[in-house]
This record gives sequence, structure tokens and C-alpha cells, in this order.
Amino acid sequence: MSAYDVSVLSVIGINVILAVSLNMISGFCGQISLGHAAFYGAGAYAAALVMIGSGSLPLALLSGAVAGTALGILVGFTSLRVRSDFLAVTTIGINFLFTGFVRKQAWLGGEMGISGIPGSGLGARGNMMMILVFAAMTIALSVYIGRSWMGFAFSAVSEDEDAAATLGINAGAYKLAAFGIGTALAGLAGGLYTFFTQFITADAFDFIFSVMLMAMVVIGGIGSTWGVAIAAIGLTLLPEAIRFVNDYRLLVFGGIMVLVIRVAPGGLAALARRLARGDAK
Amino acid sequence: MLHPVSKFVSRAGTILGGLLAAAVLALTAPAANAQIKIGFQAPLTGFAATDGKSAMIAAQMAIDEINADGGLLGQKLQLVPYDDQAKPDQAIFTANKLIGEDGVKLVVNASYSASGRAAASVFQKAGVLMIAAYGVHPDITTAGDFMFRLVHLGPPQGEATALFIGKTLHLKRISAITMDNDYGQATMDGFLAAASKYGIQVVNKYSYALSDRQFGSIVASVKRDNPDGVYATGYFFTGGPLISQLRAGGVTAPIIGSQAFDSATLIKIAGPAAEGTYVVDSFDRGRKDAALQKFFADFQKRAGYPPENVAAITYSAINLMADAITRAKSADPAKVRDALAATKNYALLTGDLIGFNKLHEIIMPINVNVVKDGKFVSFVKLDDLTAFAPPDK
Amino acid sequence: MYYVDLAVTGLSFGCMYALMAVGLTLVYGLLRILHIAHAAVFALGAYITVIVANASGSILLGLLAAIAFTPLFGMAIYRVLYQPLLSYRPDVPMIASVGLLVLMQDAFRIAFGEQGVTFQNNVYLFEIFDIGGERVNAVQIAIVVCTILVFIGLHLFTTRTRIGIAWRATVSQPKIATSFGIDAERVRYLCFAIGSALAALAGGLVGLLDNLVDPVIGYVVSYKALAIIVLGGLGSVRGTLIASLVLGLIESYGTIFIGSWLNRDAIAFVALIVLLLVRPQGLTGVRAP
Repeated sequence: MSAYDVSVLSVIGINVILAVSLNMISGFCGQISLGHAAFYGAGAYAAALVMIGSGSLPLALLSGAVAGTALGILVGFTSLRVRSDFLAVTTIGINFLFTGFVRKQAWLGGEMGISGIPGSGLGARGNMMMILVFAAMTIALSVYIGRSWMGFAFSAVSEDEDAAATLGINAGAYKLAAFGIGTALAGLAGGLYTFFTQFITADAFDFIFSVMLMAMVVIGGIGSTWGVAIAAIGLTLLPEAIRFVNDYRLLVFGGIMVLVIRVAPGGLAALARRLARGDAK
Repeated sequence: MLHPVSKFVSRAGTILGGLLAAAVLALTAPAANAQIKIGFQAPLTGFAATDGKSAMIAAQMAIDEINADGGLLGQKLQLVPYDDQAKPDQAIFTANKLIGEDGVKLVVNASYSASGRAAASVFQKAGVLMIAAYGVHPDITTAGDFMFRLVHLGPPQGEATALFIGKTLHLKRISAITMDNDYGQATMDGFLAAASKYGIQVVNKYSYALSDRQFGSIVASVKRDNPDGVYATGYFFTGGPLISQLRAGGVTAPIIGSQAFDSATLIKIAGPAAEGTYVVDSFDRGRKDAALQKFFADFQKRAGYPPENVAAITYSAINLMADAITRAKSADPAKVRDALAATKNYALLTGDLIGFNKLHEIIMPINVNVVKDGKFVSFVKLDDLTAFAPPDK
Repeated sequence: MYYVDLAVTGLSFGCMYALMAVGLTLVYGLLRILHIAHAAVFALGAYITVIVANASGSILLGLLAAIAFTPLFGMAIYRVLYQPLLSYRPDVPMIASVGLLVLMQDAFRIAFGEQGVTFQNNVYLFEIFDIGGERVNAVQIAIVVCTILVFIGLHLFTTRTRIGIAWRATVSQPKIATSFGIDAERVRYLCFAIGSALAALAGGLVGLLDNLVDPVIGYVVSYKALAIIVLGGLGSVRGTLIASLVLGLIESYGTIFIGSWLNRDAIAFVALIVLLLVRPQGLTGVRAP
């Protein structure tokens, strides 16, 4: 397995964690979040600083998750206050706030970013294995939550908050939980990214990337863990697969996004369900 | 119950398998033959595509000319280009591809700072030689001894600007406008650090984003400052509108811009307002140099627009690499590295390279252009090298 | 004098934002879709303006061509991308919209070059007027005038014409509107046509103001217009105008006074978030019961 394959698989793993965690917030619980990259970034910066300070891999990853969830719960509180239409734009705002703030702080590296972050000690291959293990655990957690009482409560909140209240479900608490869990995982992914590149700049956590993550969720099928995971893999591999059309890359990528949504608006999950039903005739 | 699930899994598996197969097919490179491969990374798409495109054209032109002349060491040169979109993760992917799939040992990186920096560590670890044509992140060269940089770092450019404004233009009160990115900030930092040495008082500091094209509030503030001069860092597509708006707003003080202002498009955007603008560390297009004039004409023919700094430095990067290979009589990266490090008095298109320091940063005078009659002409050459010496560790 | 300068700048930004965002408000008000491809329509308008202006020598012709042609493009977007997806959650058409924007931006780059296109004879930009000590160019004046005309026009349209009233009815009570015989589909096409024409006008004017039309000209619009329509109270044209002017002023003062620790976009969104926390329905929205 070449260094290139290792690097691609590493990024695939990270994107799977990000997409599946976003799906918990936006898919399971219906809270549209277009700023997921901010939590990813918070985790990455926290992990970088802690690693430079302490040199401890577990501590760095933990800090990443904590930073992600701290910011996430803050945003979760705003979701209680604003309507769903507005929430989407508020989350965009969080993304810009995060990058805008980080780029001006010298202690966070400012525009230069943080460079020379110590390695994890596992090597590139070891990092990849670590990432893939976490990705698998994320998928497992997501599947478990989807089937649990919490998942039921999430979907109740997503469908109709008032009706959920009649069932004794505290919508506010569950929204916060969704944000809390989803962003903790995003922060963890940030820590993993830090060890992958050993060099982070605010540009990696911009609004455009948040939109790409949402694209993975939508194309995968909102609410479907497996669909979203596969979409994450596919959308990460796609630019690599079409690298030979170097000059027209974004054109093809945008075109494929449009095509897939038009052909399968319910996402891959809905497509799969349709095919399965069709075959069972 | 299992039936539909297994069908789903098998369908999903087929789709995934198909995607992976397509990926593998696309990634497998053809076998190499007797050619010297020069890897090339540039932002061909994305926000930095203007520079990436220029760099690509210039690099290919250099390769074609060398091959037309018989190649190097009896072999033809082959450019192996990849688009890194000026993004660190793409830089890492493409760097790994160059090393693993294409078996490349010598690379010219014609990308921006962050992507150059990310690629640098990958190449250094693999013992691959990299020349960064114009990326200014300081840690590109600190990544290791296989790294070289052909452009002045941001801070030395800023220091040279302070020298120029203070000693050549004799201006005292300056309004400083920074573009918010690594390049803009690093250059301004150098200027601010050296300003007091030359009697410059920075009246006020302002900043703007790469995507800004309207600078109304900065113009109003500069008018209030009433400075002796205005220094701004940025690219031609921000500098052009900025100059135009400053003049339209009634600011008559001289405007001094940073290296990336150095493009004919700046003059097109700003129109008559561009007249008299100084650009520090710019490309002397008027040098009485046959090679330069030929480059100019050939690039214009290939690209349809005149070359700017990025094109010139990338072209020179390829040629310098070729020169080092010839001197080392080998394409082995360690030998080429030593030949490069030993370079003395080589004529880059952008100036006369005196040599590299211990950190493989360039030691070279800095040219300042001025816009005169709608064209860039050289105004002065700053050769007080100690005033803007790059770091050497 | 300085603070007046900053206010004039802020209002000038604000009018620019208002023109950029009003088309989006029309679409959002009707369909609740975050029509991110609005930025692509804006960019298309800018490109048509500069290409036709350079080819014909007349900037006015360029603007007219942009305003005339883009509605077709906008209506096509509705028909091909949104109409089939109306029954899905709004995130779905939004992602299609994003895909379209990515595609279009690259198409512009491939068709017209990375360097962008400049106006060959941008007379209006270099015509400076001194109004009460404030120096403004003809394009800025045009932007302010257009903003005034557009918003008065929209107001009259939605209150005085049959179609306009039908539009307002469809926005607020779609089911009741149809039972009154209003053809919701025609209203939607009209909405995209007008919204696109306004986006194109904004694009052309901004292109003139920058004197450069490049592939990323729509980038800022793609997210800032969203912030503005939310700030204004979704679907409210009046709210969009007020929000745009307020945002323009906040940016103008903000970038000077707090520009050292927050960049321009962050300032805009801070304003948005603070406002939403204080007044969750936006500047002119009605609080949900």
C-alpha cells in the first residue's frame, strides 16, 4: 500500500467521522448545521496546542473532542433560541466567526497556521489505522444511537417538536445532546487531522468544506448512517478518481453533485431501499 | 428480513467497488521510460488558479525549450504536473502521488504558502528535492535540506520596502494596509519591524480580506490620516481596485504595493490611477536581456497575456533545476541538491541570484518597479543585502 | 467628516448588498430554499455585462443584455433543479444549488480565464462627482439609484398589481391562494425571473465597480446574501433592504475599529448572531406564536 493510498484512506476515515457526526445533528435530529467545519477546526487547533505543549497523543485527541463539543454546545444553545430556517445561517456564521477569529490570533498561528506539530509516534500507516478504527467506532455509535431511545427522541424532535413534547420529550435537551455528541466527534476528527498533516491553517476549516460535508449527508440520505458513510467515501474518492481531468475537475465534480441529487434526491439510502424493494417483487 | 438487506449491501458494495476500481484505474501511471521527470505542483483550479495557470504555462514552456535544445544528460525532460488547488491536503495527496506512483525525485512547487508547506515535509521525508518557486511560508525551507526557495520571504520583502520608502523615497508618515493572509501579513510584519530603522512612522494599520474588492472605509480612513505614502500588501486583483479607489477618493500620496501587485492586469483594473504606483520585489521586464525578451514574447504567444512574476519565477525554477542537474552531471536528488546549494551568480528572470544561504533562501537584490505610461518599468534596484537578509536557520 | 465618510461608504456597501440579496429574498420567501446558486446567476450577469459591453462598446447594452438573458437561466434552474425536488427537505435542493454554483464557477474559469475580464472602457467608474464633500463615482450613484428604484418598484408591484398581490398571497398562504385560482407555478417562474434579473443587475454593477469580473466574483454573495435575508426577516423585501443597509454600516465602521481582531466576514456574522439572539425573528420578522 503506497504512501498515497495511506493518505487517501486517512482522509476518507476523517471525512466519514465528520459526515456521520453531522448526520447525527442534521439527519437524526433535524438541526441543519452548515458550519460543521468550525467544530472540526476547534478540535484540530486544540489538539495541536496540547500536543505541542504536552506531547501526549491521547490527551491531544481528548482535547480535540472537548474543544469541539464545548463550541458545539454553545451553538446548540442558539438552536434553542432561533427557528430552524435561521439556524442554518447561524451555523454558517459560527463557521466564519471561527475562521475569522483564529486567523487574527497570533497564539493560534494567525495566517501562518500552526506548523511543526509533533507526530503521533505511530507513523503514517499507524495514523491511518487509528483513524479507521475511530471511523468504525463512529459508525457503530451512530447505528446504535439510531436504534436507541435517544434516536427515537431525536427523530421525534426532528419531525415535530410540539408533538414530541406531548410525549414527554424535552426537545431542548435532546437538541443539545445531538449537538454535543456530533460536535465531540467532529472535534476528535480535527485532532486526527492534526496528526495527519502536522500543519494546520484556518483555510482547511472553511464554509466551503462545511457545505461539502452537508453534501455528503444529503447524498448519502439524510438520517442513514451507512448511506452517509458511503457518500463520504465516494465524495472523497471522486476528486482523486477524476484527477486525470485536471483542468475540468470542479466542473465535473459540481456536475456530478447536481446529477446525483436529481436522480436520487433521497440519497443513496433511499436509492438502495428502492432497489431492494424492486427486487423483492 | 435478510434478503433486502443483503441485496442492499451487495448493491452498495458494487457501487463502492465500481468507484474504487475507477479510482485505481485512473491512478495507475504508465511505466517510466528514459526521461528525467520533474514533478510539478500548482493550483490549477480553485481560488489561486490565476497564478497556477501562469506557472503551468511557464513551466511547460521551459521544459519544451530545454528538450528542443537536446534535453539534459542526453535525456528528455518530462513535466509531471498535479493540481493541488492551493490546499494542504491536496498538496499531501499529490506529493505522495509524485513520490509513489510517478517515482519523481525532483519537484518544482509553484503553489501558495500553505500547500507548499504541507508538501515540503512529505518531500523532505522522502528525500525528494523541492524548489518552491514563490511560496512564502517560512517553514518550507526549515522542513529540511532538500528544500529550496526562489523568492524572497515575506519579512525580507517587507524590510526591503521599509528601506525603499525610508531611504529612497524619503517618506515619513505611512498608512499601512495589510491583506489578511499569510503572504500579506508576513510581508507587512517585516515592514513594521524595520520601519523605525528608516525613520518611518506608521500612522495607522488596516486590513482586508482576499475576497474584498471594495475598500471604501479604508479609503476614508487613509484620507483622514493624510499620510506621506500608502503601503499595501495584496494581489493584483485586490491592489488594482484599492489603488483605483484611493485615487478616486482623493488620496494623492504615493502608493507602494507588494510583489503580487506586479501584473499587467493591475494596470488594466486601475486604469490611469495606476500611474506612479511602486511595486517592491517585482520583475524587471525591461532588462536588456535577450533571454528575458524572448521569454516575454513566447509566453505572451502561449498564454495570450503578458507574463508576471509568478510566470517568470516558475520558468526560472525549471531552468535552475536543469542547470543544477547539468552541473551535478546527475539527476540524483542528493547530488542536485549539492549543486543547487553551490549556485553562484545565476541569472534568474527575476534578478541575479547571488547564491543561497545556509537555509537555502535566496541572496538577491530586490527590484522596485513603477508604473509609467501604463507600463511597469524598473525604478531602482535595492542591493543593500544585509538590510533584508533572509533568516538562515 | 471622517465618520460621515464611513457612513457614506457603509450605505454604499449596503445598497450593493441590497441589490445582491433581494433576488434571493424573493426566492426564499416563496420556496424556503437556500438558493445558493443565486451567486452563479449574479456572476453570469456580471460576465454578460462585461462581454457585451466590451464587444459593443456600450456598458448600458451590456447591463440590458444581462437583465434580459438571466431570467431565462433562472427559470431554467427552477424547472430543472428545484421543481422536481420541492417535496423534499430544503437541504436537498440546496445541495443541488451548491453543485450548480461549483460547476458554474469552474465553467466561467474555463470559458473566460482565471485572470478575469476587465472593462475596456469603463467610463462610469472614472467619472467622479463631488457631492457635499463626498467623492463618489458614477457607478456608486447608479447603485444607489437602482436600489431605490428596485425597492420602490417591488413595493408597488406587490401592492398595486394583480400579479404582485397574487405573489404575496402565494408566499404567505399558498393553499388558500391556489383555492382562489392563483397559479402557484406561474408565480414561481415569475419569482425566479425577477430574482434573476435583479441578481444580474447587481452582478453587472458590482463588476463595473470593481472593474474586474473573475470566476470568484459570486463567492461573497453566496454566503453574505444568506446572512442578510435572515437578518432582515425571511421573505421580507423591506427587511432585506434594512438589513443590507445596517450590515453595510456595521462593516464599514467595524472593519476599521475592530478589524484587528476579527475579519470582515466574521464581523458581519457576529452582528447577525447577536441580533438573532436578541431578536430571533430578524429585524422585521414576526415572532412565531
